[in-house]
Amino acid sequence: MGVIGYGLGVIGAGIGIGLAAFGATGAMARQPEVQGRLFTVFILGSAFVEALALIGFVVTLIA
Amino acid sequence: MDALSKLPEEMDALINSFMSQAIVGDTTVGLTQYIFWMCVAIALLFVVIFAFKKKQAKSLVPQGFFVNGVEYVIEFARDDMCKSILGDTWKKHFPFIASLFFFILFNDIVGIIPGCHPGTGTMGVTAALALVSFVYFIAVGVKRMGPLGYIKSLAPEGVSFPMNALVWVIELFSTFLRLVTLAVRLFCNMFAGHVVMGAFAILASLFFEPLLQSFAVSAVPGAAVSIFWVVILIVIYMVEILVAAIQAYVFTLLSAVYIQLVESE
Repeated sequence: MGVIGYGLGVIGAGIGIGLAAFGATGAMARQPEVQGRLFTVFILGSAFVEALALIGFVVTLIA
Repeated sequence: MDALSKLPEEMDALINSFMSQAIVGDTTVGLTQYIFWMCVAIALLFVVIFAFKKKQAKSLVPQGFFVNGVEYVIEFARDDMCKSILGDTWKKHFPFIASLFFFILFNDIVGIIPGCHPGTGTMGVTAALALVSFVYFIAVGVKRMGPLGYIKSLAPEGVSFPMNALVWVIELFSTFLRLVTLAVRLFCNMFAGHVVMGAFAILASLFFEPLLQSFAVSAVPGAAVSIFWVVILIVIYMVEILVAAIQAYVFTLLSAVYIQLVESE
């Protein structure tokens, strides 16, 4: 059951990182000169989203 | 199929081995395996930094792979994390930011080596790191605006009275949440990464075991599958090297962003 719950939780994180990458690639294509700054913001955003998925992973293993 | 039936207990043993175990003393007063490897990482960091200083002093122009490599990483920390986020005040905070980055980076890299544990793989170390960063940005805020000024600055200006108090409570909550998320993010990344690597290593060994015990034709397909697990293990290992660097980067970057938030008020 725990593994199924983790799978459900990851759906959200997957959509989140997908949206972040979508926005970042779109913006980079429009304005290649701000690539460096955008990459930083993209990594920051993904880190926030990814933390949620990882908390789910660890809670699944421990509980 | 009996290879898979052994997997749950092997996984339990693996996760148990990731819990803090004392190698000197006990878990209240003593040295756990994580703290031991953290000390190794610190020793390694000192060796690299002092060797760098010694080699750098030899000539004005940086020469060789080692000196240039270390300088590149330091300049990356300076330009990408300090200058681009903190702006004009970067010089004041660069020592703190750089020491955070190098400490976490060396801990993560040491943890990647098979047989070693990352210092950041236990909640205690990451919570301490997050606490240091938390106290640092609050101290910067208090120094700039005074204790009362900092507490007031949590609520945004230009909001009328009842909403003001509500926003202040939410902001206070989110400030303390930063402490938790900084610690949990780093810990979970290291822990989860090592569990996944361990799981594939266990799978590979479980599928290969029948062939070692007795050479039979029926054991050959299992051994062939284990090659597939080893390939996946190598891919995950590469990803983990990337994650080690990215998590050091993310932790430091977030600390810099929090410092910038109080500096710009």
